[in-house]
Amino acid sequence: MKLNINFQKRLFATCLASSLLFIQTAASGQDTTAAKERVGAVKAKPVKNTFQSTWIIDNQTVMVPVKGTFEMDIMHRFGTVTKGYDDLWGLFASSNIRIGVDYAPINNLYLGVGLDKYDQLWDGSAKFAIVKQTRGSMPVSVTYYGDLTIDSRKDPTHDIFNRSSDRIYSFNQLIIARKISDKLSLQVAPSISHQNAVAGYYVKVDSTRTTLFERMKHDHFAVSVAGRYKIGEATAVLLNYDQPITAHATDNPTPNLSFGFEFSTSGHTFQLFMGNYSLLNPAKNNLFNVNSPFNYSQTGGTKVKGGMFLIGFNITRLWN
Amino acid sequence: MKSKLILAASVLTVCTMSLAFTTNQKPKPWPVPEKNAKMVNPVKSNGESVSAGKALWNLHCASCHGKKGLGDGSKAAQLKTTPQDISQASVQSQSDGSFYYKVSEGRDDMPGFKKKIPDTDDIWSIVNYIRTLKK
Repeated sequence: MKLNINFQKRLFATCLASSLLFIQTAASGQDTTAAKERVGAVKAKPVKNTFQSTWIIDNQTVMVPVKGTFEMDIMHRFGTVTKGYDDLWGLFASSNIRIGVDYAPINNLYLGVGLDKYDQLWDGSAKFAIVKQTRGSMPVSVTYYGDLTIDSRKDPTHDIFNRSSDRIYSFNQLIIARKISDKLSLQVAPSISHQNAVAGYYVKVDSTRTTLFERMKHDHFAVSVAGRYKIGEATAVLLNYDQPITAHATDNPTPNLSFGFEFSTSGHTFQLFMGNYSLLNPAKNNLFNVNSPFNYSQTGGTKVKGGMFLIGFNITRLWN
Repeated sequence: MKSKLILAASVLTVCTMSLAFTTNQKPKPWPVPEKNAKMVNPVKSNGESVSAGKALWNLHCASCHGKKGLGDGSKAAQLKTTPQDISQASVQSQSDGSFYYKVSEGRDDMPGFKKKIPDTDDIWSIVNYIRTLKK
């Protein structure tokens, strides 16, 4: 089942346009203080606090905390709101939970490990700040984020996994961000998710032969566009959109639209939001999301119902 | 007569204890090494620095010291040490270096911020913002 071609092209074009606009803004958006700093003898320092947290809902931000920082994350995704009062808009439904910790052993490098409730996914991650936005010299910050995931569910009879390597997923992402003003920060993050084993096969029969196809490709490209706008000293509005790029034979993941609020204190950041991703793992979210934000038609005319949002929150605590 | 005496003694005791608990806490002296007190603020107090200092103040300091530095932050009542009113002239008479030292190092309830705010210019910006709180 492929997404309707026109629909997908439209979304892709939207994302591409956003990216180009973002890069254009980044190239020309150096403010007047930049010129002032160029004149001064003092060496310009990287722009600070592009984002207040390492997370923006389901994606990583460009932020890499300073050396010696230890972080603990508690993330929660409730059920979808579609049943309304029956399960209190998903709050009383089965929820997914992730607990994670991260540490910065040296400046610009952040290492993390986490465990998800669904499928008991262990993930190990590395984040590295490649360049940082600096007035007068560097218009954007660029950070690499990589995540390796192992599905640790017990499977003694090999009903789920034929080989141990089938348990592994990987995710690689380049995060490009710019602090546009004191209030507004934007980022674009292309990514590639990899699954070692595809979900299964389907058979295509025509007049001459029968052909076996993999349901999905092993690699999946996607792009995320996210922004944060401060509405107070400690409060901000968050918006994020994830667009799948790769078209698979079947089981195409749906996009993700999420929005919410962020509240910051000296050591904590709280994010409360609605979105479509529920799996709390970047590779699995990009590969397997089935909660669609809006209505659309798949090839073959199947209508996909939108509005499959769920409530979630992230709590992060930093020590340094 | 004896019961009246006991009653009077009890009232006196309660009053004395109440006074003991309501007497204003005198701030404990916080000596700053001379070398630190004499440090010169390298960050010019302009709009950019004060704005940066204000953002950091609201994030790290306001919950105890209050938004205007009056010592009336939401956490102030839970502290063993009552935060001082920073807007007072007696507090503002300290040097920039003294403020910098106290914010960096901390003491008792107040944490040191030299690790949490690793860029020294940011701490100087907080000092610049503290100056704007003077009444």
